[in-house]
Amino acid sequence: MQRRAFLAALLAGASLPGATWADANNPSFLAAAREGDGGYTLFGLDDRGHDLFRIALPGRGHAATAHPTAPEAVAFARRPGDFALVIDCMRGTISHRLTTPKGRHFYGHGAFIAGGRVLVTTENDIASGQGLLGLWARDDGYARIGEITSGGIGPHEVLALPGDVLAVANGGIRTHPDHGRDKLNLDTMRPNLSYLTAEGALLEQVTLPAALHHASIRHIAWDAGVLAFAMQWQGALPDAVPLLGLHQRGAPPVLCTAPEAEQLAMQGYAGSVAIAGETVGITSPRGGRVHLFDRNGAFQQSHLRADVCGLAAGTAGLVATDGLGGILAVRDRLKPLSHATRAWDNHLVPVG
Amino acid sequence: MKSLIAAVAVCVATTAHADLPHVLDDHIRPAIANFANASAALHEVAVQDCSAPAVIPAYHQAFDAWLGASHLTFGPIERDGRALAIAFWPDSRGACPKALAQLIADADPVVDDPVEFAEVSVAARGFFGLEHLLYGDSFTAQDYTCRLVIAIAADLERMAGDIATDWADYAQVMTSAGAEDNTTYLAPREVDQTLYTALLTGVEFTKDQRLGRPLGTFDRPRPTRAEARRSERSLRNVVLSLTALRNLARAMADAPIPASEAAFDAAFDTAAALDDPIFAGVSNPTGRLRVEILQQKVAYVRDALAAEIGGGMGLSQGFNSADGD
Repeated sequence: MQRRAFLAALLAGASLPGATWADANNPSFLAAAREGDGGYTLFGLDDRGHDLFRIALPGRGHAATAHPTAPEAVAFARRPGDFALVIDCMRGTISHRLTTPKGRHFYGHGAFIAGGRVLVTTENDIASGQGLLGLWARDDGYARIGEITSGGIGPHEVLALPGDVLAVANGGIRTHPDHGRDKLNLDTMRPNLSYLTAEGALLEQVTLPAALHHASIRHIAWDAGVLAFAMQWQGALPDAVPLLGLHQRGAPPVLCTAPEAEQLAMQGYAGSVAIAGETVGITSPRGGRVHLFDRNGAFQQSHLRADVCGLAAGTAGLVATDGLGGILAVRDRLKPLSHATRAWDNHLVPVG
Repeated sequence: MKSLIAAVAVCVATTAHADLPHVLDDHIRPAIANFANASAALHEVAVQDCSAPAVIPAYHQAFDAWLGASHLTFGPIERDGRALAIAFWPDSRGACPKALAQLIADADPVVDDPVEFAEVSVAARGFFGLEHLLYGDSFTAQDYTCRLVIAIAADLERMAGDIATDWADYAQVMTSAGAEDNTTYLAPREVDQTLYTALLTGVEFTKDQRLGRPLGTFDRPRPTRAEARRSERSLRNVVLSLTALRNLARAMADAPIPASEAAFDAAFDTAAALDDPIFAGVSNPTGRLRVEILQQKVAYVRDALAAEIGGGMGLSQGFNSADGD
């Protein structure tokens, strides 16, 4: 079968039979952590931040991606990593190991489309520096089935929106594995937010004014028609540049800032973004802050918490995790839900 | 037998917590009180005589006092972005002179209302706003600039006073870490982590910013980027900040920290011999090498503190803040 036809067949396929997240105790979130003994672990957490399962990882990862229905997570090696692990969260085992094709490496995030039959991963075409989305067929043992352009350089987070539209945060920063995480194009970087079809058609692209070309768009969240994008400033600091943008398809983006001193205190860095109901939040582990905005972009509140980074929507509002082992409900204040001797890694990943 | 005693001492050290009562009583409370007093004195002097020669000695004393506390970047100093409103540096876009020029050009009456002035851009406020006014070529104690000097001094006094007030409560928050109703510190270990992060971040700020910015690159040294060079405080700020950080390290540790002490001594010796208060020497190879050596000595301080304090308490720098993605 032609690759394109195969992909089309997959995208049109029926939903999956088999085990569900209920078979892994219905976690609300996945989060990776470094434990007290120095080992790395993937945790399944309930809505109140309590452990449901723990699965040892071979090393520090970046984000995990949760399958929409099956109790399965994909954990990515830290960039510029060339492998990802598919973890069976019911059995606590590694069921597949994904390795990038020659000349590619992962950027650390992924998303499922086609009812969970296709995994999409953000990748770098090392030779050209162009961003790619790799496509993998879950039913075929996560075989590599193709790739499409990401619409920019340095794609970081990808989200699957309704209708299998892919939203991609193209961070704009060119890296090369020979130079580790060195940023090779800071003078000319031009990040964007791209909306694509799974076949690679560019539906819409959002760029920021030239004065903000150092604002690397890296993490995204979506809820009910609003896409929130979080940025990391690559220019000189201190600078009260916006770190959050809100976008609705077809409209110009709305850039959001806190009052000057609060904005400066974020240290030009947003680590995660999430939307829960009327509230949009970003975290800055460097500034030790959670900033909250409303869905129109108006600043609401700042909460202080050292090394806070993970952020996701729970059933009752936003939930944050930090490097001190805390899980906190984000309300009109931070309300600790649980605490353990471990350091929660960058992201808190919602399940389902 | 001696080696057995040493081994026992090491074991005890690895489970240690920071000596919080010592840190609060001998380091934080005196530093915060000193800053509040010096800022109040600065305001008082400015009200009496706003001319540069009259204000400058009090400016230096208050700035000295700030360097005793500026590394305590958690809690009250972190609140409302106060740290940058007190000392807005580095200022890579030249925002401070721009903001001041705008106020002066407009003769903005905001200077006469302390509540309103607290909302003025942080770039125009604090010690660097004052420095530009007191050391600017065009500074004359004209009516408006005089009111602006007084307003900045009053604003500093207000912030320093608020910080001192807030610390009274915040010390209790630190002391009660891990208590049921303590939502700031969920465990005593988080206090250790906070102090340790402040300690290392302070040393790194001096290494990377206070020394790193004027050093620039070998091909392009940037002497005009030295901190507070107009008031010739660049080296003084390095020394005073290291002095405060050494005090914090000593107060935190419940065991001797000989490697850190030696590293601090070496850095102070190098600084004392430098004879270059504003790092102007970075523009020539010999002078540059001397500032680079000082930077290296500060890097050794960092490494020694990481080994003795961090290693002793099983702490490392922020998991996410030190390594983003």
